[in-house]
Amino acid sequence: METAAQIHAQLSKCGVTLAASLPDDWVAPLIERIAADNRIRHVRVAREAEAVAICSGAFFGGVRAVALMGATGLLTCTGELATLNLRHQIPVFLIVSQRGSIDDHRIYQEVQGRRTIPLLQAYDFPYHVIDRSEDIGSIPDAFETCRMQKRPFVLFLTRRLVKGEGTAL
Amino acid sequence: MRTREAIEALAKRRGEAIAVCALGMAANEWWGATRSEDSFYMHGAMGFAASFALGLALSLPQAAVWLINADGSLCMNLGCLLTEASQAPRNLKHFVIANGVYQTVGALPMVNEGRTDYAAIARAAGLVRARTVESLDALEQLLPGIVAEDGPSFTVLRVEPESGFLRTPPMTYEGPEMKYRFGRALERKLGIEVFGPQGY
Repeated sequence: METAAQIHAQLSKCGVTLAASLPDDWVAPLIERIAADNRIRHVRVAREAEAVAICSGAFFGGVRAVALMGATGLLTCTGELATLNLRHQIPVFLIVSQRGSIDDHRIYQEVQGRRTIPLLQAYDFPYHVIDRSEDIGSIPDAFETCRMQKRPFVLFLTRRLVKGEGTAL
Repeated sequence: MRTREAIEALAKRRGEAIAVCALGMAANEWWGATRSEDSFYMHGAMGFAASFALGLALSLPQAAVWLINADGSLCMNLGCLLTEASQAPRNLKHFVIANGVYQTVGALPMVNEGRTDYAAIARAAGLVRARTVESLDALEQLLPGIVAEDGPSFTVLRVEPESGFLRTPPMTYEGPEMKYRFGRALERKLGIEVFGPQGY
C-alpha cells in the first residue's frame, strides 16, 4: 500500500472525520486522498492557523480532527497554537512535512530544518517523527497521546517516507 | 447604536444557539449580557474565533452556531470568509461588531479607518446573505429574518466607538476551566461526548 494510503487508513482507525489542510508538495498526496474520502469532511483553508482553529472547534463538537500542512505553515501558526491550544489545553493533531532535513536540498527550507524542533521544545509541544512505512502504525498511539497531553501534537513525515530514498536537488 | 445595545439585541434573539466570541470587547460584552457557559470566549488567537466557530458548526450540524466577531478580529483573518463560503454551513451565522477601532486597547483607530465595506468583501468571497446594519431600530427589525434564514450569513453591526477603554469586565473563568465548562455545557445541551470516559 502506498504511504498516503497507509496514513489515511491509520487516521480512519483513529476515528478522524474532519481534516483541515493547506498543502505543501510533500503532504499533497495525502491531502488529495483524504479529500476523496466522503467519510471525512475536508476543509481547505487559506492560512494554516485556520486549520488549527477549525480542528479546535471540532474538538468541542466531539469530532476527531487532523490539521495537515507543511513545515513553513507550522511556523506561521505557533502564536495561535500557544494562545488557543496551550492556553486552554485543547488538543490538536497536526501532520506536518519535516522540511529542511539533510536530504531536502531546498535553500528556502533550511531554517525550518534547523529551528522547528527547538521551537516545539520551547513551547513544550510533543512531536513524533514517522521516517519509515513500518512506523505508520504508531499513528493511533500518537493521536491518543495528543488527547491525553491536551496540547498541540506534531506528527512529522520525513522526506524518505513520502518521497523515498535519495536526495532532492 | 452602542455596542452593548447591539449585543443585548443579539442575546435576546439567541434561542438555543451556541456562541463563539472574538477576544476582547465582543467576548466581554457577550458575557456581560448572557453569563452563558455554552459560549466560548476567545482569550487569544486573535482573528481565529471565526475558524473555531466554523469547525464547531461543521461538527454539530444539528445545532445553531453564532459567531460574535469584531472588526479588528475579522481583519486579522479575512481569509475566513473564503473558507466559510466554500464550506457553506447552514447552521452558522457570523455577526461582526464594527466600531472601527481597537476598543480594548484604548480605541486606537483601525487600518483603513472608515473606508472598508466588510459586507461587500463577504459577498465578493461568496457569502450571498451579507448586510450591514446601521441602527438599533434596523437591527430589531431585521433580526427575526436573520435568525430564521439559512446560513452561512454575515451581518455587520455598525456601532459607535466608546471613548477610551471599554471597561466591561471579562468572564470570571479562563484557560482550562473555560475548556471544561464549555465542553460540559455542550455535552449536557446536545447529548454529545466531548471528553472521553476518563475525562480528557
